[in-house]
Amino acid sequence: MAYRIQRLPSSTPLIAFAARVIAVVLALLVTALILAISGHDPIDLAGQVLSSSLLDSFGLQDLGVIFIPLMLTGLSVAVAQQIGAWNIGAEGQFYAGAFAATAIGLFIPAPDWLSLILMVIGGFAAGAIWILVPTLAKAYADVSELISTLLLNFVAALMVYYVATGPWHDRMTNSSTPKVGAEIPEFWGAIHWGFPIAIVFAIVLALVLSNTKWGYEVRLSGSNPSAAEYAGIPVRRHLIMVMLLSGAIAGFAGMLEVAGTVHRLQGGISNNYGYIGIMVAVLARGSLVGVIFAGAFMAFIQNSGIILQTQGLTTSAVLAMTGLILFLTAIGEELSYYRITRDKV
Amino acid sequence: MQDEIPAAASSPGTPPRVYLKGIAKYFPGVIANENVDIEVLPGEIHALLGENGAGKSTLMNILTGIYQPDAGEIIIDGYARQFASPVQAIAAGIGMVHQHFKLVQAFTVAENIHLGWDETPKRTSAAVLEARTAELAKTFNLQVKPGARVSELSTGEQQRVEILRVLSRRAKILILDEPTAVLTPAEARELFRALRDFVSHGNSVIFISHKLDEVLEISDRISILRQGRKIATEKAADCNPRMLAKLMVGRDIVLDDMRERAANAKPMSAEPVLKVSGLSALGDNGLTALHDLNFSLRAGEILGIAGVAGNGQRELSQVLTGVRPASTGDIMIAGKTMAGLKAGEFAAAGIGHIPEDRLHSGLAPAMSITTNAVMREYGKPPVAKGGFFSREAAGKLAREIAGAADVAIPDFAMPIRNLSGGNQQRLVARREMRIAERILVAAYPSRGLDVGAINTMLRYIVELRDAGAGVVLISEELEELLNLSDRIAVLYEGRIMGILDNNNLDIDEIGLMMGGRAHVGAGEAA
Ligand SMILES: Nc1ncnc2c1ncn2[C@@H]1O[C@H](COP(=O)(O)OP(=O)(O)OP(=O)(O)O)[C@@H](O)[C@H]1O
Ligand SMILES: [Mg+2]
Repeated sequence: MAYRIQRLPSSTPLIAFAARVIAVVLALLVTALILAISGHDPIDLAGQVLSSSLLDSFGLQDLGVIFIPLMLTGLSVAVAQQIGAWNIGAEGQFYAGAFAATAIGLFIPAPDWLSLILMVIGGFAAGAIWILVPTLAKAYADVSELISTLLLNFVAALMVYYVATGPWHDRMTNSSTPKVGAEIPEFWGAIHWGFPIAIVFAIVLALVLSNTKWGYEVRLSGSNPSAAEYAGIPVRRHLIMVMLLSGAIAGFAGMLEVAGTVHRLQGGISNNYGYIGIMVAVLARGSLVGVIFAGAFMAFIQNSGIILQTQGLTTSAVLAMTGLILFLTAIGEELSYYRITRDKV
Repeated sequence: MQDEIPAAASSPGTPPRVYLKGIAKYFPGVIANENVDIEVLPGEIHALLGENGAGKSTLMNILTGIYQPDAGEIIIDGYARQFASPVQAIAAGIGMVHQHFKLVQAFTVAENIHLGWDETPKRTSAAVLEARTAELAKTFNLQVKPGARVSELSTGEQQRVEILRVLSRRAKILILDEPTAVLTPAEARELFRALRDFVSHGNSVIFISHKLDEVLEISDRISILRQGRKIATEKAADCNPRMLAKLMVGRDIVLDDMRERAANAKPMSAEPVLKVSGLSALGDNGLTALHDLNFSLRAGEILGIAGVAGNGQRELSQVLTGVRPASTGDIMIAGKTMAGLKAGEFAAAGIGHIPEDRLHSGLAPAMSITTNAVMREYGKPPVAKGGFFSREAAGKLAREIAGAADVAIPDFAMPIRNLSGGNQQRLVARREMRIAERILVAAYPSRGLDVGAINTMLRYIVELRDAGAGVVLISEELEELLNLSDRIAVLYEGRIMGILDNNNLDIDEIGLMMGGRAHVGAGEAA
């Protein structure tokens, strides 16, 4: 009796979901194994992680604080995917949003409520501006957005690092700007109102995509641009709008990070949220509601990483773990197309 | 041609090359194949006939390892085999050329031939690959240009590359799924010559087609599928088109002259509904594909466009529907110029468009049947309510279109690429006819349809004409054009060689014009 592996032309959602779960479990197992080999007790560590994140109110607050930017950058990437574009630049747009929010908070004198409104507008606008050139290059000259959005990340990171340690630096800390006065009020413990706003944002966008004329046009343009042209849809205009929206969402995430969590601008304020957002979108399989769950999961992984760091693990070990999850998910995605069959002869 | 069958085909005792035994395949709500027994002999060209959705493509996908059968056995040269993928099937000598080619457009012919082949030399150069390709082309007597990029080739040339790709892997069984649907008659003749050459060495061909004449010409035996089951296998010599059609559909099919108008038909309008003057347009390659076209179409009239495929038909249908911009000249619809307007405005002006490559430009293959069905009417009530998209109304419209197109659909949320080729075409056609209040531009509307469906399709076009729409009918089937058109324009290298009234037409004259000779006394008044 022999077994054979067969590739199917399509995979069912259930199998795809199962493949995803298996990938995550496998990644966790491998991590546990590595931890065990390097002399840690994985069961003890897992217990620590659980008790100080999910089972602890401060731990849950930490999770929520990481969840907000991750979910939003994931949403940013997933929104661009709807029209068939890869926004690898959420990281840069996040920085740009944080930069604009800080500039408004520090240099425009206004009452807090007005300052916050201006920061929100500024965050959206800065993210959109940061993706503007890659968007126009893709729309008009068919330049791949993969590389152009990626390259601008470095520009944004350096720009923020420069102002935070240079012209805008605070004399006390030297590595960040002074505190920004206007703050987004807290909603529960350390979690600010960005939390519910982000979730509502994702749900509203998902509803808009599936229940409006515009959403239909965007989905059709993303699936087959030439059929969309044929149906009379202004594909280029939609591409530009959706990519700018994607950038704006990442910029908004950067703004929330400044106004809600960190309250100042620092060199490394993005914490790689923009890159991890790509993982969130991949885990969510392009579903905007799925981004909420994938974002929560990645927040848990990130937070676990921080807890593990307090137990003596390095940042790179934590990064390796998240990388492993993405890697195995990609493999799981591909494997969900395969089935093992048994020869009857 | 019967005496050309090699002895192997008829000698008793030789095991069949392919023996499909009791094959079944079920999709949710559909019996694609059930209890199918087919034997293909060495040295034989075996045709597979059947209505749209009868299960022909599915059966071949099972034979080549794309799908696994739910029941039954595949026996090759006497041994039961199972193929988990097309790679295993080709290793066992079974190769398939699909209707939608799977070549890499940006690669050269030589690169495509050598892609994913274990006999490709490990360290190699373009020159080596091209020399090898030229060698293979000579062995199999198939003319290809080894150094040319696939994107630069005509459909017929691309198909030759696909065939060479399969044959070079030592296939003994070649499967062709509707190979001639996209070929010019000359290209088809060349294909047939290559196929006869191939089987004369004891190889076998399985040939799927809806063109009965050509099936009778090329094949030795014919198997007929109906609703997933095999109805009969007959010697081609004992068959005629009429009985084949009857076997396939289960009733008599008569293709008749449809120029006769119904009693209540709207009369042809005095004023043209479409007027094209001095129209030129560029092709995809940036060169002028249409040169200074002038013609007009009245409401209630069918204007046939004859010509060998690739002489500007695609560009013409696209310019007339706003998908491709005109470089000079003007298109007037009901007296209003359409200059500078896009596909959406053309559709809103009541112009339907059955495109030539439905899968790439008329459908989003990965999206649901509902999404595709409402593509033309999503912006109008009831599907659009203000800025909203009513999913309920969309589902209702999709069911309505599927009903009118006579396509049974188990699940409207399924991606439309899961439908059979012919059923996709039927849905597109019905969708377009709904919006074609003024004009329908139909490019090869019967391509990929079975005989019964062709008849229905042409009848729909006639009904549309009788309801007062003008129709531009682009086709390679002269018979179809002669049966339907009021006038016939002949397109050659992007120019109209003449426009003829369709009464007592001299077919030879059309033939000459299709070859580039201008009509004596050309020039036409509206
Ligand atoms: N992947 C799939 N999922 C669901 N249904 C399928 C799938 N593939 C084929 N079918 C269904 O199986 C039936 C047979 O389809 P098939 O493509 O074999 O028809 P066909 O004989 O090749 O028709 P045509 O002449 O139109 O090409 C159709 O009803 C089709 O919708
Ligand atoms: Mg088919």
